[in-house]
Parts: sequence; structure tokens; C-alpha cells
Amino acid sequence: MKETYRFAETVVAVDALYPAVHAYCSAYRCAGTPALTVQITQADIDAERRKSADEDRAEGRPVRTFADDYLETLAVYRKIAEWMPLRGTVLLHGSAVAMDGEAYLFTAKSGTGKSTHAAFWQAAFGSRAIMINDDKPLLRIAPDGVTVFGTPWDGKHRRSSNCAAPLHALCILERAAETQVVPITASQAMPLLLQQVYRPADQAALAATLRLLDRLTQTVPLYRMGCNLAPSAAVIAYEAMKG
Amino acid sequence: MKLKQEFIAYDTEGLSMLVPTGSAGFAGLVQGNRTLGVILSLLQAETTEAEVVAAMLARFDAPEDVIAKDVRRVIDALRGVGALDE
Repeated sequence: MKETYRFAETVVAVDALYPAVHAYCSAYRCAGTPALTVQITQADIDAERRKSADEDRAEGRPVRTFADDYLETLAVYRKIAEWMPLRGTVLLHGSAVAMDGEAYLFTAKSGTGKSTHAAFWQAAFGSRAIMINDDKPLLRIAPDGVTVFGTPWDGKHRRSSNCAAPLHALCILERAAETQVVPITASQAMPLLLQQVYRPADQAALAATLRLLDRLTQTVPLYRMGCNLAPSAAVIAYEAMKG
Repeated sequence: MKLKQEFIAYDTEGLSMLVPTGSAGFAGLVQGNRTLGVILSLLQAETTEAEVVAAMLARFDAPEDVIAKDVRRVIDALRGVGALDE
């Protein structure tokens, strides 16, 4: 079964084996001629299962089992994320909140509290803060600026909006006893960004990803935030980064 | 020996890194200073450890034993993450 969607202003046709991925992406359905057609096979699903098991083993936890239709949603996004960098767009693992129409993107190692912190923004600022994507937004990195796009791949809490906003600031979150926000340089940010960006299997696409991250770190203000996951951290972060 | 195609050398503001593609068996990063960057650039083409040491000696004003030790350390690290075709 085949449906067409718009992700980061790109029309993508998804030809899937199971209906679940179409339900998952339903908010992004559109008409139009696709620039990319993603076709999933059982081999793609099996590859996702192996990858997930390898990650579980590498992190020393029991291997989890997942249904084929869930793994297919991952396979679809992997194919999209492989294709996007050569068209100026990357997938970055993080939580993106739009505040008064401008995006603030928080990235960190898993378990640091990105989602918790992003939720504090909504609690502190109400309708001024909109969750663009709580897990895997797409970033279009153009010479005239960076735009953050919502996607259906939005984490276990399923928090996202089919919307886009210019990126105002990017913040690396770390746990700390007290909340503190400091500007950082590109070379300070890059090691973590390279761990959080989707790294394509294709060498040319990875090279494009590195060029795009270079552009991102040269054009967007970068910060590091020590954060104790207190709700007040949202206001402190916003005041430090709003400029 | 030569750097595998599944790895890309990357430099920014004095920081050198070896970045694996998503298909490489290694998911981390190798980070270092300019020395790492130069060694990675030499490993873009087929070479030997002795040739890398000689090229580094021509470029840097340091004793040969120091350079040879640095080169050995980097090559061991690259070998450890499966980044070298040998």
C-alpha cells in the first residue's frame, strides 16, 4: 500500500508492507509528485531488527523484541534520513520547541532529560511554546538559515506538530546540580552533534552531513546547559538564549 | 594500509575526528589534535607505518622516536575500531 507525505517540504511516497506506518504518518499526508519513493521489503525490516538487537547488546541490556510493523516505521525513516543530506536536510536526535515562532533545539545523550526539559517550556510558557518534535526532527540547513521541521518520528510520548520554525538556538543539555547556560564554540559542540545526527551509511551522504553541520554550527548560536531538571530551568534557558 | 571507505576524516577549529558512516561496525568517534588530522590525511592513500612516520618527520620539528610513538598510538587506535584496510 502506497501513500504520499510531505516531510521537510519534500514530497515522499511510502510503499509499505503494513498499514501501521501510514497511520503513524497520517498527519503528514499530502498530494503531489514525490521527490523520493520509499519502498520497504522484509529485508529492510529484518535489518532494523538486527540493528536494534546489536544496540541492545552493545549497551548491555536484554535484547528487546519488536513487531514487524513497528520496525517498518523505523525502516521508512532510515531511508528518508539516508536520502535527505544530499538535499540539504539532516535528522538530529533532540527535542525542538517553538517559542513565539522561533525554534530552540535541545540535544543530549539519551537519558539526560531532553523531553523533560522541553515539557517544562510548555508548562512555563503555555501556548507560546509549541512542541515541534520531541525526538527526531528534520533540520533543513540552508545558506540563509536553518529550519526545524516536525516529523511523525517524535518519541515515546508522541509529542510533535506538523509545523516548521527557524532555528534560533541549539543547546546541548547536561545534568548538573544547578542550572547554567553558557555559549560554546563549534568545536565544543561538534563531538556531541556528530553522535546525535543521523549518520548515513553512504559515504557521500555522510560527507554532506558533515558540511551541513559545519554550516549549522557557523550560523546558529550554540549553548551548553547544565540542568538539574527543575521546572524553573525553562525560564532560565529561554532568558539566556533569546538574545 | 589505508583508511576504509566507511570512515571520513573531519577537521574543525583544531579538532580532528574520524567519523564512521552508518554502515561501519564502529558507532563512536575518534578525536584528536592536528597530529591525528595529518595522519588521517596520509592514510587516504595506500601507505605504510614507516612512510607515515617519514612524512610526519618532514612536516613536524620533533624527534623521530616521539613521532614514531605518536604514529603507532594513532594507528593502533584506528586498527582497534576497524578503520584500516590492511
